[in-house]
Amino acid sequence: MPKIDVSRRDLFRLARIEDPGDGGLADLLSLVKGEIDSSEGDSLKLELNDTNRPDLWCVEGVARALRCHAHGPEYHLSDLPVSDLEILVDRNLRNVRPFVAAFTACGWAPDEEELEALIEVQEKLAASYGRNRKTAGAGFYRLGEIRFPVSYMAASPDLSFVPLGEDGEMTLAQVLRDTETGRTYAHILSGAEVYPVLRDDSGSILSFPPILNSQTTGRVRPGDSELFCEVTGTDWETVQLTATILACNLQDRGAAISPVRVIYPDEHPGRTVSCPVVFADTLTTTMEEVRRILGLEIAPSSAVEALRGMDYASATARGTSITGMLPPYRRDGIHAVDMIEDIAVSMGLGSFGPLLPDRFTQGRSAPIEELADSVRLLLVGAGFEEVLRPVLSSFEKVSIQTGTPAPPVAIANPMTREYGVVRNSLLPGLLEVESASAHSAYPHRIFESGEVLVRDPGGVCSTDVMLACLICCNDADFGDVHSILGSLCHSRGISLRLEPEDDGRFVPGRCAAVIIDGRSSGIVGEVHPEILCNWGITRPASAMEVRLPCLKG
Amino acid sequence: MTADRDLHPLEKTLLAYLEEHGASTDREIIENSELPEEGSYRRAVEWLLSRGLVIEVSREEQESVQLGPLGISSLKVGVTPELAILRRLAHGAGTLQEIQEDATFDRGRWGSGFGALLRSGLVRKDGDLVHLEADAEDNPYGKLWDQVYRVLEDGGEIDLGSLSDEIAAIVRERSPKRGRDRAEFVVVTLITRTVAVTDEGLEALKRARETVTIGAITPGVLADGEWRNAAFRRYSLDMPPSQIHTGRLHPYRQFLDTVRKRFVALGFTEMRGSLAESEFWNNDALFMPQFHPARDIHDVYYLEEGCSVPPPPSHLEESVAAAHENGGDTGGRGWGYSFSLRQSLQAIMRSQGTALSARTLASDPEIPGKYFGIARCFRYDQVDSTHLPDFFQVEGIVLGEGINLRHLMGLLAMFASEIAGASDYKFLPGYFPFTEPSVEMHIHHPVLGWVEGGGAGLFRPEVRLPLGIDVPVIAWGLGLDRMAMLAMGLDDIRDLVTPDLSRLRTMRVRPDSLLKGGGE
Repeated sequence: MPKIDVSRRDLFRLARIEDPGDGGLADLLSLVKGEIDSSEGDSLKLELNDTNRPDLWCVEGVARALRCHAHGPEYHLSDLPVSDLEILVDRNLRNVRPFVAAFTACGWAPDEEELEALIEVQEKLAASYGRNRKTAGAGFYRLGEIRFPVSYMAASPDLSFVPLGEDGEMTLAQVLRDTETGRTYAHILSGAEVYPVLRDDSGSILSFPPILNSQTTGRVRPGDSELFCEVTGTDWETVQLTATILACNLQDRGAAISPVRVIYPDEHPGRTVSCPVVFADTLTTTMEEVRRILGLEIAPSSAVEALRGMDYASATARGTSITGMLPPYRRDGIHAVDMIEDIAVSMGLGSFGPLLPDRFTQGRSAPIEELADSVRLLLVGAGFEEVLRPVLSSFEKVSIQTGTPAPPVAIANPMTREYGVVRNSLLPGLLEVESASAHSAYPHRIFESGEVLVRDPGGVCSTDVMLACLICCNDADFGDVHSILGSLCHSRGISLRLEPEDDGRFVPGRCAAVIIDGRSSGIVGEVHPEILCNWGITRPASAMEVRLPCLKG
Repeated sequence: MTADRDLHPLEKTLLAYLEEHGASTDREIIENSELPEEGSYRRAVEWLLSRGLVIEVSREEQESVQLGPLGISSLKVGVTPELAILRRLAHGAGTLQEIQEDATFDRGRWGSGFGALLRSGLVRKDGDLVHLEADAEDNPYGKLWDQVYRVLEDGGEIDLGSLSDEIAAIVRERSPKRGRDRAEFVVVTLITRTVAVTDEGLEALKRARETVTIGAITPGVLADGEWRNAAFRRYSLDMPPSQIHTGRLHPYRQFLDTVRKRFVALGFTEMRGSLAESEFWNNDALFMPQFHPARDIHDVYYLEEGCSVPPPPSHLEESVAAAHENGGDTGGRGWGYSFSLRQSLQAIMRSQGTALSARTLASDPEIPGKYFGIARCFRYDQVDSTHLPDFFQVEGIVLGEGINLRHLMGLLAMFASEIAGASDYKFLPGYFPFTEPSVEMHIHHPVLGWVEGGGAGLFRPEVRLPLGIDVPVIAWGLGLDRMAMLAMGLDDIRDLVTPDLSRLRTMRVRPDSLLKGGGE
């Protein structure tokens, strides 16, 4: 979940409402599905839960939602001027980083703090929504120093320029190799034979996106009131939405936005794209559907009012149908239910009194759980203590220390070796308990019932529920565990038969396959001293493991 | 100091021994007296001490060093992580990363060994490079190996007091009282006591020799009627009972059992699923786009090459793929990308219990119906005091004509009171990729204040329609580990799956109040 740091003063000044205190703010944050993570003096940390709303991951976005709910919709980017600024896109970037969006923002001169905040929002969007600058990354420039048209072109790795924060010229390849930012983001361009570069009409390099701006034009200073903003990336929609969100933020700060036309080589969507793009997604539904989902009869005029409070670019009710157009910085409306939720959020969940479902349904446990309950209680009655172990284990524990005959299913991307496989038997977990419990009063009679993952010879995996018991004390032997198995079977009306079995985990001649209903259902025996040694267990132990469903009887 | 009960035969035997031999040590008495075994002596001497019939003349404590599980594994590979690092650096500087690539120990053990060396100044870190600052053998960890590991390997005994202060400090630091399953050493305290009989003790012994009393009432005593002419030996009733470890259910399992029973009581039917799922059931059927961040390689566990789970029916593959690509027949516009069947079939460890609900929707559920499932789920997290590699969630659905947002909140309110035992709760708009509208509930804990108490929503049409369900469906879920920790009074989540029986035997759960619990 994204978390953002904001200044409380900034938030309420932008929102144009009185600071209602933390309690009041917590209620208002319902509008943005947010919570206060921490609050101290002027510093607020907010957590935003909607991972589909990148527009809200900055103070401008949160303030906008609060402001529009209090004062009505604002129609962002609704009348952009005509502009003749252009960016020409090079066909050879097609397989590297094909998309670019840009606009200019004039008339707002950020001070040092505001400039820092602007850069921070841009970084945050690129990091979370732009997947660490891969699908989208943004940059700001001093507009006055750029000669249009700008080329978004494919350059050879040998091309050199002076990167931001460096003293002299470096080639693009050097930037990736020798600067910290270069090393951090080099993977985005790995395998590419040409690199993207923004160059203006006079031939000066603006930047090497999404890595570094240039020292000359790419360095915005406090007080600069004419800005050029660009976003490049690998995903068209992410690039456009990032640019649109940044444009709305700057507009909210007081800047006038002018579009930039991006001219693509012919195979790209829409040969000319005027940015920022105003998406204008429209959703339509009926008042009956609203009532069906929200459970309340709502007047069409109230629904329209609710959507205006969510800054919808338009909302109209005609007859029994209602149509809303999302504001340009949102693309998360992909079904009418998304608009219906906005009505509920705008009205506040408190408007919808809780009800209980009134139809009768019958409750039932899963049969396997009923069986497990009965077997677990029998074992507790026999003096066994139940344990609970993790499902993920290590190859060392399962195969090497315990010698489980079947190899466990391995995780392809384990975080640590310790949790690198999925258990296929409960016995390693019980032996680990023994190994960690030498100081606990004996005798130890422990059991676990739980899920394991097994695979058939074709590699198809399935979940089995097992039951395993282990007895460890000075005189633990085959008879002890055999009688437990016997009494379990007896109490469930099952006839038990043992067949001699060779299994490295158990002492030869004191190990048997458990045969229930003519089917091999598990194993029982005295644990082999070799295995006890592997686990550092210093007293004898006997154990058994059966498939729980076989005890159904 | 009372002498108002009669002497137990064991007490008589012990007093007689002390009368004859004078002050003696525990060991001498256990080996030479006629007491049947050590436990009998321990019981008898405690009884007599508590009544002042015997006194403790002196007491010596000795701390004996033994190897814990980490120490045993070091002994097995013939080296400790610290010593291995020092020896390696003797051949030239290296990086911690290079060291950690060696599979002799896991990353954690390399890391903590390295930390210890850094703190002790035996190595120096210069950027990523690590330099040796001492002799690779003649240093505290070399001595630790020779004076502790080697001696224990040969079956020797080590008194902690006999080690140099430096080595003793290392041993002490690595023998935690709790979490012995992660200890390098275990220090066991052995106490040698010398006891002697008091004048009251001799007096009591004399009285006991003069009267005929009956101790245990045996069948023989009953048969011959001897009891009619004798006194019963008076037992001491203020002794603490001897401890027995009864069989018991695991406290967390007990907690889960309670959750399950309460849902069944509320009319829910239990669902079961599989530990391994296809991405189809875990994500695709829930309308989570294949590019969703939570589906990243860093968030879910993939099964190794060659492992698979059975594929979903092909008509469902088609309807779900259409919902993703262009909305299909759901009335929405979809996510607008090209759906990969191949990714859909990838086998992963179930990352959310909602997979159970998706399967239930696709297998002809009862309408109206209510379902729940308690599922173990897996997430890519570093294990620490708040994260386990697998955790329990309870999830479920309520489906039927006429179900809406208000029922969803009614249901959550019922869970707050019936499942968690909370008296106060509040609702907030929430976000889950598969529901719209979505609601989160916060519940009020008497000590912690507002805590998250689960979420719910109406399944998006893009989830339920492709699975063949044309009535509204409420989906809800609650994480259980955190709630169980509150109920059990635990502050380390790893205790929920501890292998340490002693620890387990001290954990309590009072299932009557899941949220507030009655922990230790």
